[in-house]
Amino acid sequence: MTASRLSGWSSLLLSGLLAISPAWADELAGPRYHIQGFAAQGLIGSTNNNFFGNSRDGVSTEFTEAGLHGTWQPLDAMRLSGQVLYRRAGASDKDGVRVDYAQADWQFYQTTTTQLGLKFGKVKLPYGLYNETRDVPFTRPGILLPQSVYVDNSRDLLLAAPGAFLHGASVQKYGATDFLLGWVRPDFDSPSVDYSFLGTTRPGKLKGKGALGARLRWDLPTDTTLMLTYANATGDYTPGNADVLRAGNIHFRNLLFSAQQRLDTLTLTAEYGEPRFDTANFGPFLPNSHRVIQAAYLQGEWRFLPAWELMLRHDIFYRDKHDKSGRQFAAATGLPAHSMFARDTTLGLRWDTTPNLMLRAEFHHVDGTGWLPGPDNPVFLSREQRWNMWLLQAAYRF
Amino acid sequence: MTHVRFLFLRLVLLTCLASPIPASAGIIVNPDVEVRSISISSLRNIYTLRQILWPNHHPIVVFVLPDDNPVHVAFAKEVLGLYPYRLREVWDRMSFSGMASAPIQVNDENEMRARVRATPGGIGYTSKDMVYDGIKTLRLE
Repeated sequence: MTASRLSGWSSLLLSGLLAISPAWADELAGPRYHIQGFAAQGLIGSTNNNFFGNSRDGVSTEFTEAGLHGTWQPLDAMRLSGQVLYRRAGASDKDGVRVDYAQADWQFYQTTTTQLGLKFGKVKLPYGLYNETRDVPFTRPGILLPQSVYVDNSRDLLLAAPGAFLHGASVQKYGATDFLLGWVRPDFDSPSVDYSFLGTTRPGKLKGKGALGARLRWDLPTDTTLMLTYANATGDYTPGNADVLRAGNIHFRNLLFSAQQRLDTLTLTAEYGEPRFDTANFGPFLPNSHRVIQAAYLQGEWRFLPAWELMLRHDIFYRDKHDKSGRQFAAATGLPAHSMFARDTTLGLRWDTTPNLMLRAEFHHVDGTGWLPGPDNPVFLSREQRWNMWLLQAAYRF
Repeated sequence: MTHVRFLFLRLVLLTCLASPIPASAGIIVNPDVEVRSISISSLRNIYTLRQILWPNHHPIVVFVLPDDNPVHVAFAKEVLGLYPYRLREVWDRMSFSGMASAPIQVNDENEMRARVRATPGGIGYTSKDMVYDGIKTLRLE
């Protein structure tokens, strides 16, 4: 669907969300159902490169998010939930309104301390600390998530996909643990995924074959959270008309470590992953490759007043762990070395003006273009290594 | 000098009276809940959506006041030992991912009592540890 066809729908959804007054809010939750939603608008300015629209030396207003979320429990052991999402993010995301996820969760074993269940449908994918609620601005540590781990570039892969997950949770003296284990068919078919995995948009179709996902989470009594996520996905390419690529395959694996320590009003978070990425059988124009990516960040959040929070983050991303500077890549391809890495230092401020309204400001200083959104910066050679970006965001919820 | 001391005492007394910290915060439940007392850890598990059933296997329905309500702030900090914004983080993570329902938010203590009275499996809190008609008050272990 095109953006223009959807713009009517999206403004309808947006105005609908904003029209819901707190007086209505009483009707939005009951013992067996709950409806909630949000709408957020961002402003982005940057130097040297674009991020989500024409932000370079100007202001982009093309970062909008709105969602309507509902959950219903027809039976004690059955929960249905889903979310409709509107999202605009520059040239990278013009899809407008979409069904974010729609799942049924059958909790076939329930005691006061332990639950086991099976969720199926278009299910939310577990990936690190923030992925499952990545489009809900209030749940993110900043306006943007750390791009190394949560790459908005290939977000379609990580969102939700048809499949099923077995899950369980238990709370004991040693803390609370939960796990998820499942199989899905992820969505590889989007221009931004083409950009990040095949270098540029391609005429053919990249299709997800199947993916295994697993996550273990342990919340210790010491206010510590430890988490391990594993993902293993494969995709097949079907060449399009006059395509230089042959029918190749890609393979993606990642083991992501997450740790968070909460100390009074301070929250320290780190996540580390080495995604492995292989391409094979694409023919002479995309030689077989095996690459180990390195992605990590360190983040501190400080609630210095009940409604104010300061965030500082350092985020690193290397497209090839064995060629961090990108020199080998530049020598082999003649393309700029800075596309192989990105180091981002971020300072952010959050103000929860009221329980329903959040205002945020954020500044990024970035060295490298490793996760720069391709569709917003189509001319490879005009991308610049060092760039700054500021963002403002207002987010409303009910 | 005595005047100053008197003023100081009055100030201390006033702050104690005005402070929203409910030394005797009341945990209230619907009368069909078959428990008489509750441990802090159990209460914390219920309010962080980890315990979803009462011991008789009936589902728990959790009620809360708005995040910035002084009674909620005091309950979160003094009873649960959690800042209100941390509770909200947990509720958002669990609810928007479809794993659980966020607590039902009510506008004030009167509504809290009315909803807990009317909802089987309901749990909530009030600023005073008092006895109300048709509601059970739980003893904190």
